[in-house]
Amino acid sequence: MAIERADVLRLVDAAFPDSAIVLTLGGTAREMLAVAGRKPNHIISLDAMGQTVSLALGLALGLEAERPNEKLVVIEGDGALIMGLSVMSTVGHLKPRNLVVFLLDNNVYLATGGQPTASSDMDMVAVAEACGWATGRDVRTADELAAAVAWAGSADGPVFIRVHIGVAQLKTNYFLEDPAVLAEDFRRWLKAAQ
Amino acid sequence: MIDDVLAAPAATDSQEDLLDRRSRAVIAGIEAIDPAFVLHLASSTLKIVLDHFISGLGARDGRRVFAMPREEEGICIATGLELADSRTVLIFQDNGIGNLLTALLTLPQPYHVPLFGVVTRRGGLGEYNSMIHTISERSEALLDAAGVRWFQLDTRTPIDRWAVEIERAWQFSRTTHRPVFVLVNLMGG
Repeated sequence: MAIERADVLRLVDAAFPDSAIVLTLGGTAREMLAVAGRKPNHIISLDAMGQTVSLALGLALGLEAERPNEKLVVIEGDGALIMGLSVMSTVGHLKPRNLVVFLLDNNVYLATGGQPTASSDMDMVAVAEACGWATGRDVRTADELAAAVAWAGSADGPVFIRVHIGVAQLKTNYFLEDPAVLAEDFRRWLKAAQ
Repeated sequence: MIDDVLAAPAATDSQEDLLDRRSRAVIAGIEAIDPAFVLHLASSTLKIVLDHFISGLGARDGRRVFAMPREEEGICIATGLELADSRTVLIFQDNGIGNLLTALLTLPQPYHVPLFGVVTRRGGLGEYNSMIHTISERSEALLDAAGVRWFQLDTRTPIDRWAVEIERAWQFSRTTHRPVFVLVNLMGG
């Protein structure tokens, strides 16, 4: 049985309640809101694919010294990552130990109607490792997912976890929050957590 | 250290001396900001500035200096750094402004994240590339159309004011909670 996106989001939210979580746009962000609610430690990239891992890399670098034991978690999709694939080399070069990326890979641009991405022909974990990431793994079953989420909390990063998921979507409402409010809520959470 | 980098050789009218004097003024301005992170793009006209931060006096403990492969990636990384309250300066050429507009207008601008970039001018007096002016001459228009605040440093501003104005522009990005760029003409004009 395929792992679905919402299953991953529930697990990640539960496993990292005190970590900053950077969420890619569209259905992924809306499903996280549906399963976990609005969380101040979640920062959502509301638009423009290809930005999420770069945004998270900056956060990881900025927080690494002050919060060395806290992970900086990213939820990204395959289509969005491919739009900004150069960041794989930047992460591998800079090697933030606190960065954990969960790539939710369904092989399609789901939010825009299911057009295929190139990810079905890519070994994304091999790409990460070849770029200099510390470690990575593929996840295809629920048991592997549970093990990977637990492992991600303690492994030295940067960690890349490619979760092969299905295309099921929760029915969700549009999320229309002002991005300035999202950023301010996140900043205040960061300051309170330090 | 600022005094060291401003200790330029005697000024002449040569292209090399102009580039050297203005580059040193830019270095002094950025050093006055005292960034913990300096992100840069490859640029031949920025060589003096980049050398200072990559391997010169500006490559100090506690500061991370690294290349961004593309401008939009740099904008996103810098946004994350600023959200984490890390003092950051971007350094790149104006022919990359087209690359960064989507990232700039969908991330730091609407999220009200202050961001600061030093953007070197190309395509004007002293230019050696026969094509680059087709994008570089439109830099101001592109930024204006995007509603991005910028300031310009060229021959109209005395060189001894450049460092101060760069630091003031960085402060202005904090005051107004948005990206601010300083366009610096290192090549002439």
